[in-house]
Amino acid sequence: MGADILIIDDDKDLVNTIRIILESRGYGVRAAHNGEEGHAAILEKIPDLIILDVMMSTDTDGFDLAFKLKNSPHHRDIPILMLSSFPQQMAEKGPESFQHILGEGWPVTEFHEKPIDPDDLLEAVEDILREEGRI
Amino acid sequence: MKPGYQLIKEQLFFRKELIERAYWMIQLRWIVTGVALVAGWVGHFLDLKHPILSLTLLFLFVALNNAAFSLIWRRLMAHERPENRKFGVFAHVQISFDLLVLFCVIYLTGGISSPLLIFVFFHIILAGILLAPVSCFIYAGCILLATAVLIVLQETALLPPQPVLFQSLLFPSAQSLPNVLALYGTFAAAILMATFLITTLKASLRAKGKSLLTISRELDTSNTKLTSLYEMVREMELCTEFQDLIDSATRNAVRIMGVKGCSIKLLDDQKKQLKFASVHGLSDDYMAKGAIDIDQSPVNRKILQGSFFTIGKIQKQDYFQYPEDVRKEGIASMMCLPLRVEKVILGVFCVYSDLDHYFGPEDVKFFSLMADLTAIAIESLKRELNKTWFLRKAAHQLRSPMGAVQSMLELILKGYQGPLDEPQRETLIRCRKRLTMLGDVINDLLKIGLERIASDDTAYHAVDPEQILTALEDLYSPRATDKGVDMTFIKEGTVPWVLADERMIDDLFSNLVGNAIKYTPSGGRVTVTLAGETGHRIRFEVADTGIGIPESEQPRLFSEFFRAENAKAFKEEGTGLGLVIVKEITDRLKGTLSVESTEGEGTRFTCLLPGTTKIPQTADTGPDKG
Repeated sequence: MGADILIIDDDKDLVNTIRIILESRGYGVRAAHNGEEGHAAILEKIPDLIILDVMMSTDTDGFDLAFKLKNSPHHRDIPILMLSSFPQQMAEKGPESFQHILGEGWPVTEFHEKPIDPDDLLEAVEDILREEGRI
Repeated sequence: MKPGYQLIKEQLFFRKELIERAYWMIQLRWIVTGVALVAGWVGHFLDLKHPILSLTLLFLFVALNNAAFSLIWRRLMAHERPENRKFGVFAHVQISFDLLVLFCVIYLTGGISSPLLIFVFFHIILAGILLAPVSCFIYAGCILLATAVLIVLQETALLPPQPVLFQSLLFPSAQSLPNVLALYGTFAAAILMATFLITTLKASLRAKGKSLLTISRELDTSNTKLTSLYEMVREMELCTEFQDLIDSATRNAVRIMGVKGCSIKLLDDQKKQLKFASVHGLSDDYMAKGAIDIDQSPVNRKILQGSFFTIGKIQKQDYFQYPEDVRKEGIASMMCLPLRVEKVILGVFCVYSDLDHYFGPEDVKFFSLMADLTAIAIESLKRELNKTWFLRKAAHQLRSPMGAVQSMLELILKGYQGPLDEPQRETLIRCRKRLTMLGDVINDLLKIGLERIASDDTAYHAVDPEQILTALEDLYSPRATDKGVDMTFIKEGTVPWVLADERMIDDLFSNLVGNAIKYTPSGGRVTVTLAGETGHRIRFEVADTGIGIPESEQPRLFSEFFRAENAKAFKEEGTGLGLVIVKEITDRLKGTLSVESTEGEGTRFTCLLPGTTKIPQTADTGPDKG
């Protein structure tokens, strides 16, 4: 069985889509639907990668979780791939603009825009896992 | 600029007067000496028998002295801050010198019968104005003593008598001693009366001046406070972030009230807890206590009910859950007020002082003004922020499902769920294309929306609500019939036009009508009423016999808009934006929206909008053209 990937997103259809994509490559997939559930799932077992949505039960639920993990010595090394459906004008500027807003402590390994292109997503996931030495 | 009270203070204590008059006396002395010399010599040539030589020498001596006074004055003024005390001494020296010279002149011009004796009154007046009352009385005594000495000298002929210049009004010459004594008595009474009058007059002037000073100081203080308050409001108006605004409020409150610290606690959505939102001048530990349960804090409950609250001496009373924290911060007294806009309470505004009994009734008044202005600033920024929040939220709601659909399409197109034949593939590619176009439309709408928020209501024009409702009737009646709902449209009275935009009125009406049909089961009834109301208003009312809204949910209906997040309003089954849009439009048109509902029985929404008098002359220039 491949790496353990945790998807945290409140859109069940999207979770399902990502699950199908990842499972097609033999990854183990777990899912949570908000920051709180996601945190519980992480405490239960530390995943190799987290795919995280931004706006869930609050506008910044995803960021809140990402910051929480970065502040925890046990969890700060978990790579995070963040998904966003931010307004177009913000997304157009790319992740740099968020880094500017959030300051130096950008808690996310990579940033991926919605809608999801399966090939791009798989490529990003493989890149991160290879870099982290998890595959 | 110098504060007003300082100017008054200077004038009141005759400091400025004393300094200015020192030079004025020197100037005057030059003139008097010159005039006296000329007059002496003119008199001499007119054969008056006064000792012209002695007088000339005396006046020359005076001139010499005056030159010395002039030098002294220059040296005194050379200091950056002229010393008041030195000018006092200088005034004494000058007045004493003048008196001495005057009595010499009086002696030389005929002793007590000299007509020049009357000039002593000027010295009394001058001393009375410039110097302390006691000095004035001492000078009066000196004058009387000198006059008495003159009488003794004259009666005993110790000094050679001088010829009388001309008849004096006070002491006519060649009088017997008893007469002279009687005249002296009168003179003494006049001198003392003059001294008494001038010193008491000055004392009363001073007393009045002092009260003026107090009033003026108070005026200056309140002027400074109000100016600072104005600056505070200006600063708050410029804030675009909520936290910046309340931080600015606490910072300014500490500065303007001259207190140790200040805090703003805001009420949460459930109106159950107060949370520290901003603290200035107190340590982080103070905030660390976290939220305060209103049920357990009678003090805060009282404030939230609208009354102010001050504690003069905290140590004496036990109002606090954590008194040791209060002591640790060095807080000795405090004052708290509700932050409210009209009847809506936002939170609690407190100032803390390290002095006992620091806050008086005036402070309460001033602080309420500050609290009201802060509450208005908070509320208006909240509204401003909520407008953009709404758009972002709506855009997210639209984009999320679209993103999911697009992602799923990609999944199929890329063959993750099995192979596709060519026609299937082509259809899906067309789907993807149409979705991308839809995404562009959403982005454009968002852009337009954001622009609308930025611009004001200049695009509004007179809109006929009846016409819009008639169009909606055609649209919704078949829908109601399909569902088995009995739908009635009623028009009452003359319905005024509304200053708005057609799309807004259309959205407002259709959201309420659409909701009513949606939540009314088959066999139910929906009644839509459009009526003219008193006060040139329109009433739009939608009543249904639907599922109703639980009482506990009702207060939250329109406040959804003001909440950071309410997942309930954005359930997958419905966008939940309908009522938010209705509320938004009503607010923008300065109308009111109310709801009455019983769960299981039905709901009635009533919307009141102000009418406009700007109705176009002909129907052709009306809404159709807008």
